[in-house]
Amino acid sequence: MSQLEIKNLHVAIGEKEIVKGLTLTIQSGEVHAIMGPNGTGKSTLSKAIAGHPDYTITSGEVLLDGKSILELEADERARAGLFLAFQYPSEIPGVSIANFLRAAQQARMAEGEELDASAYYKRLYSKMDLLKIDRKFTSRSVNEGFSGGEKKRCEILQMAMLEPKFSLMDETDSGLDIDALRIVADGVNTMRGPNLGVLLITHYQRLLDYIVPDHVHVMWDGRIVKSGDKSLALELEAKGYDWVKKELAAATA
Amino acid sequence: MSQPPESGTLETTTENPVVGIDQTKGDFQYKMDYEFDAGTGLNENTVRYISSVKKEAPWILDFRLKALKTFLEKPMPTHWATKDLENINFDKIRYYLASGQKPKRTWDEVPDDIKKTFERLGIPEQERKFLAGVEAQFDSEAAYSNIKDLVAKQGVIFANSTEALREHPEIFRKFFGKVIPTGDNKFSALNSAVFSGGSFIYVPPGVKVAQPLQAYFRINAENFGQFERTLIIADEGSEVVYMEGCTAPKFSTSTLHSAVVELVALKGAKIQYITVQNWANNVFNLVTKRGVAHEEAEIKWIDCNIGSRLTMKYPGVVLKGRKARGEVISIALANDGQHQDTGAKMIHAADETTSNIVAKSISVGQGRSTYRGLVHIPKNLKGCKNNTECDALLINTNSRTDTYPAITVRGDRNATQHEASVSKVNEEMIFYMQQRGLTEGQAMSLAVNGFINDLARQFPMEYSVELKRLIDLEMEGSVG
Amino acid sequence: MSTLTAPQTIVGSFTAEAFAAQLAKQKSAPAWWLDRKRAAYEKFVSLPLPKRTDESWRFSNITTLTLDGFNVGGRAGISTEAPFGPAHLAFANNTLTSRTPLVADLVGRGVIVTTLAEAAEKHTELLKAHFMAQPQKQGSEKFAALHTAFVADGAFVYVPRGVEAGAPIVITHSAAGAGAAVFPHTLVVAEENSKVTVVDYFVSADSAAHFACGANDLYAGHGAQLTYVAAQNWSRETLSFQFNSTVVRRDARVQSLNLHLGSRQARHESLSQLAAPGAFSEMLALTVTEGAQEFDQRTLQIHQAPNTKSDLLYKNALRDTAKTIFSGLIVVDPDAQKTDAYQSNRNLMLSDAAEAQSLPGLEIQANDVRCTHGATSSRIDPEQEFYLQSRGIRQAMADELLTFGFFEEVLNRLASEPLHDALRELIKTKFKK
Repeated sequence: MSQLEIKNLHVAIGEKEIVKGLTLTIQSGEVHAIMGPNGTGKSTLSKAIAGHPDYTITSGEVLLDGKSILELEADERARAGLFLAFQYPSEIPGVSIANFLRAAQQARMAEGEELDASAYYKRLYSKMDLLKIDRKFTSRSVNEGFSGGEKKRCEILQMAMLEPKFSLMDETDSGLDIDALRIVADGVNTMRGPNLGVLLITHYQRLLDYIVPDHVHVMWDGRIVKSGDKSLALELEAKGYDWVKKELAAATA
Repeated sequence: MSQPPESGTLETTTENPVVGIDQTKGDFQYKMDYEFDAGTGLNENTVRYISSVKKEAPWILDFRLKALKTFLEKPMPTHWATKDLENINFDKIRYYLASGQKPKRTWDEVPDDIKKTFERLGIPEQERKFLAGVEAQFDSEAAYSNIKDLVAKQGVIFANSTEALREHPEIFRKFFGKVIPTGDNKFSALNSAVFSGGSFIYVPPGVKVAQPLQAYFRINAENFGQFERTLIIADEGSEVVYMEGCTAPKFSTSTLHSAVVELVALKGAKIQYITVQNWANNVFNLVTKRGVAHEEAEIKWIDCNIGSRLTMKYPGVVLKGRKARGEVISIALANDGQHQDTGAKMIHAADETTSNIVAKSISVGQGRSTYRGLVHIPKNLKGCKNNTECDALLINTNSRTDTYPAITVRGDRNATQHEASVSKVNEEMIFYMQQRGLTEGQAMSLAVNGFINDLARQFPMEYSVELKRLIDLEMEGSVG
Repeated sequence: MSTLTAPQTIVGSFTAEAFAAQLAKQKSAPAWWLDRKRAAYEKFVSLPLPKRTDESWRFSNITTLTLDGFNVGGRAGISTEAPFGPAHLAFANNTLTSRTPLVADLVGRGVIVTTLAEAAEKHTELLKAHFMAQPQKQGSEKFAALHTAFVADGAFVYVPRGVEAGAPIVITHSAAGAGAAVFPHTLVVAEENSKVTVVDYFVSADSAAHFACGANDLYAGHGAQLTYVAAQNWSRETLSFQFNSTVVRRDARVQSLNLHLGSRQARHESLSQLAAPGAFSEMLALTVTEGAQEFDQRTLQIHQAPNTKSDLLYKNALRDTAKTIFSGLIVVDPDAQKTDAYQSNRNLMLSDAAEAQSLPGLEIQANDVRCTHGATSSRIDPEQEFYLQSRGIRQAMADELLTFGFFEEVLNRLASEPLHDALRELIKTKFKK
């Protein structure tokens, strides 16, 4: 069992504060969804937790199994068990998916230990089959020239291969048609289980029809302003974000 | 080359042998009586004569004489530049002429000769009124000015070079010849020896000059060289836009125009320098333009070159202070017998400086346009960026274009990007417009205007209208 | 080796005596060759060393172009094993040291892989027509003349009409012993509709300072397909010059890839002439630098006929205090309408002290063309780096992956998988050390 704790987190880009005191705890086996309008700090939260150098954590804590990860570099956080599924995955020209994932696997092994290539490929191919990714993709450069759906499937493939403790999924549904969305959701659902905690970041409720969350949080102006179960997502869909805004205004009035 | 026209008569129209362009539109000349004349050729006496006519301080004469020495010693830059430069006969050029009039304040006081010239140029009535607010250089000296009274209320000094160096040496001497040292190149040395006319401007801290300051230059005497000198100092946080435009009568023997323009943008200041140039087909236009941008300052050159026999002009910005910005927007159109050798120089000398170059050229008939660029990011700098984009449009099968950029980058904390393309006018597009009833020439004009449209929009309204007219004129007869 | 401050002489070690001694060894060579050599030597002597103000040497370090301290008549060393499999011809210090015969089938179909000396005897007309037949005009006329004067042997590859030569023909040129001067030469003639791949491997047997002044001439006849790979791995003390000349005839296709790893200072001049409609030249280069190496690359793509195509991609990875110069020019002659020309120089800056010069040029005299060029210099993209790190890959490894990714775009253009792999392994030996 693992636990990811985000405590009163403040994040700034340059001088501008984006996340303004966010608190959230995720246990292994749980799926949390963070919903909210654009520009409210959802993506900033995920990038900051993953350790992107452009984001400064000005105060607060992020603890993985009780230990702070904020002093760790991005790659150290990843090896500690955090995975970020990017909203806009980078294209990496000249680096094939196979080589890339091998390097990522190798990085998780002890010094001097060598990856068993045949076992690795066997595992890779089985995951690819699961995600309906053509095996020819292994020799293609990471994300280069991929369609939106291919990029997202490639993210899920990496997640499946790297077996993180916690996965932060940033707008994984954006730019996907319904078929692609179903494949991606199936992939996540297959991995769902007692060893994985998921934080789904999404603008729309649509994704939550396919990946049903245990908890739903509404993010507004850098904070979580409302939490509930999956019914909250449906309520949001029906009433829109203005409803939260009004409630919020009423509460602070 | 056609015979020299008689003074006081309009030259008769000559048919362009290659593409049938009437290139004599706007070419005319009137007899002028010059009060002072340094004669042809250049030696120490010429320089002493110019200085004495201008009643200059001894340090200026000294500056001129040193420059003359440098000029005579320096070789032509023909190891990289066109050989056509060797055809300049420095002995046949008049280095100084002045009509001897005091700068005028009102339209009524402007001599009839000059008014007649404006009329001949076809400048519309309202534009003539507009010109009444202009510092117009007529031949070597400012013949007309009054906008300076207006801006003087904001503490802006707007004067010709002679007046400025005489009356405000405490302001101008410090920067004069510092951005472009005399020995920068042979032609900057020549200008430093014989300069006259041009504008010197000082904008005090925080002052934002509301209207663009303008100057029109015209060459109006056979064998007459023009060597104006411009220096603009924008003090901290100030902003100024300067515009110059040229249309020139056509002469039968080569004429030399060799200006030096220096800009200094102190901390946080902004200078925009706009040029629309349309020299006659026999003019060598060899101009050195450079600005120094201090911390967070911005210098933008907007430069349009149409006409001349050979133009060599590469406006530059030395990005001296942190976060300084430099930009060159350049349009060149080369028609038959013309070579537009233009470009830009960006010298990064501080962290986080950025520069941007967009150059578009059009070659018509046997015209040749050349882009020469220099981007320099030396070591130990970080966060510097340059972006360069050059696009060339070739109209006729024998049109020519060249691109010669040189990009130096040291270190891993800076980034440069250079893209260039060469293309012709889309035939489908021309056909489409013809099908709608336009002549091929009109369609071509529209296509060319479309090619430069995004840049032309950066010019002030009256200039972009003038630009469009000039392009229409140049494109006439380029097809068929 | 002379010091940098010593005055440079115009002939250096390549004196008239040295030339005469060298000529004396070539007694059996045909008169036309000897005449060309004499003429070339005269030209070499008459031309000055490059000057700082020479436009074709802009940004180059010309103070280190010394010709002194070299030894032309050195004994043959031993050939070095090529990473491309056994060499069909192996030269060491200008002398043939071993050869692997061509398969009998190819010999039977008229494919020739032999030495220049032998070709001069048996195929003299062919050699005369193609040997050093193209003009050198990219600044190194003096050094090209030196090559022509001193080259006494080299490789001659001839593929007759309609024959496909199959597996790559591998040639190695090595230099051994302090001051050894070598003049590698490879001439490839691919006749109408033939197909051939040739690999040149340049290597030093030791870490001493060598002088390498080589040339390769590629001729692709009507519809021929010629692939040429040159891997330059001279010692880190070597001063090297390499002149490439490519002539592409109607509907022919030439792909050349130059990998630059070795030398203290290396100048590479490459000329592609698109001589007839349908001709296509693909010019590729990869440079991996370290220390204070200087790589000076000058390219010229000349479109002499309509409907021709050229595509150049030169990539440099700069480390330490290394310096690269890319100066390229696309020339479109007045009648070469419908030219499609591309030129791209990408510099990956991996150190704060490295220096990249980029001079991508165009001279276009026809209007119905598609000509573009681009040049970029930048470090590793931080977003890509972060993406890799976010997968748990350490920064050093991430940078290495991205750097090799940068190389792959060039290597991927090669159709031959084994060649691709061999080149990548060569890069690794330098990059990972």
